[in-house]
Amino acid sequence: MIAVLALAAGVVLGIVFHPTVPAGLQPYLPIAVIAALDAVSGGVRAKLDGIFDDKQFVVSFISNVLVAALIVYLGDQLGVGGQLSTGVVVVLGVRIFGNVAAIRRHLFRA
Amino acid sequence: MTEEEQPKRVFAPDFLTELFRNPLDPGYADAAARKAVEGAPAGLRRWTTRGASTITLLVLGFLFVVAYQQTIADEPASTKARAALLQQVQSRRDQTTQLQQQADKLGDDVAKLRERELGGAAVAQLRDMEAATGLAPVKGDGARIKLGDGPTPINPVTGERNVVARVKDTDLQLATNALWSLGAEAITINGQRLTATSTIRQAGEAILVDFQPVTTPYEVIAIGPDDMAKDFRDGYAGKFFKELAAKYGMSFAASDVRGVTLPAATELKLRVAEPIPSPSAEASTSSSSSGSVSSSRSVSSSPSEGGR
Repeated sequence: MIAVLALAAGVVLGIVFHPTVPAGLQPYLPIAVIAALDAVSGGVRAKLDGIFDDKQFVVSFISNVLVAALIVYLGDQLGVGGQLSTGVVVVLGVRIFGNVAAIRRHLFRA
Repeated sequence: MTEEEQPKRVFAPDFLTELFRNPLDPGYADAAARKAVEGAPAGLRRWTTRGASTITLLVLGFLFVVAYQQTIADEPASTKARAALLQQVQSRRDQTTQLQQQADKLGDDVAKLRERELGGAAVAQLRDMEAATGLAPVKGDGARIKLGDGPTPINPVTGERNVVARVKDTDLQLATNALWSLGAEAITINGQRLTATSTIRQAGEAILVDFQPVTTPYEVIAIGPDDMAKDFRDGYAGKFFKELAAKYGMSFAASDVRGVTLPAATELKLRVAEPIPSPSAEASTSSSSSGSVSSSRSVSSSPSEGGR
C-alpha cells in the first residue's frame, strides 16, 4: 500500500515539477526506465512470492540503473553506439518478461 | 541453478540459461534464507530499509513520468519544425503571388502610359519587339507538340525504377530547337514562355524550365507557320520522337492549333544591356535585344500579335 502511494507520489511530483532532462543525460533515460521496470517487476514478484526484501529492492534498483548507464556510456565511448544498450535491453527485457509471467501465475493461477 | 545445499556460494555457469529459468534476482532468495536464519530485522534498521525502498519507489514514479514527458516532448519537435517550415513556405508563396500581381498591375500601367506618350508607329514597333522577345503575351496559330513519359517499371529484383522512357531535358531542348528552326516565333512549355535566355535543364527527376519545374505530360505550343506541325512530324525531331514512342512507349503527338494565346515570360533578366535614362534610348535597346532573338525573323509579317 505504502509502495503504491509512494509510486503515485513520485508520478505527481514529476507532473508538478515537469523537469527538463539535460541533453547529456537523455540517452540514459530509456535504459534507466527499463532498469527501473526490471526492479519493479522483480520487487512485485518477490512480494507475491513472500520473499520481498527492502534492502535487496533498493540495491537492485540502484545497481541496475548504474550498470545500465555505465554500459550505455561505455558503448558511446567505444563507438559501438546503441549496440551495447541493445544487450542491456535484451537482458533486462528477458527478466521483466519472466517476472511478469511469474506475477501472472501468482495472480491468475495460470 | 544454485545449489542450495552447498554452503559455499556457487555462481551459475550459464548466465543466459539461468536468466531464462529464474529471472528473479537471486538476492531475494538469499535475503529470505538469511531472514529465516537470523529472523527479520527489527527496530531502526527495519525502518531505514523500508524508508529507503519508499524513496526508491518515489524516484521510480518520478523517473517514469520524466521519461514519458521526455518522449512526448521529443515526438512533436520534428513535426513542429516541419509545420513551421510549411507555414513559412505558404506565406512566402502568398507573398510572391501578391508581389507578382502588383508587378503585373504596374506593368500594365507602364504599358498604358507608354502607349499614350509614344503613340502610333513607335508603340507598334515596341509591341512587335516585346512579342518576339517573349515579354508580351502573343496570340496566333501554330503547332502543339505533346510529349509524355512512357511506363517506368520497377525492377522486381533490384527495386530500381527503369527511367529510360522518361522525357529528358534534351528531348525538350530538341523539340524547342526544332520548332525554332521551323520558324516558330513564340514557344511555351507547359505554359512557361521561352525567351532568348531560357534554360531547359534536368535537376534530378524534375525538368526545370527557367528554374520552374514542369512535369509530364509536356505540352510544347509554338506559334509559327501553318504547316509547322507537319514539318515537325516529318523532320528529324518528329522521327526521333516517333522512334522513342515506338521503342519505349513514350507518348508523342504533334497537331495544329488555331488562335492560342501564349503568356508572357515571367521575367526577362537583362544581363548585358542596361536601360538608358534618356527617352531616345530606343535604338540602342532594340539593337541589343534583337541580337538575342537572332533566330526569329521579322515579326511584322507574322501572324502573332503583341499587346496586353
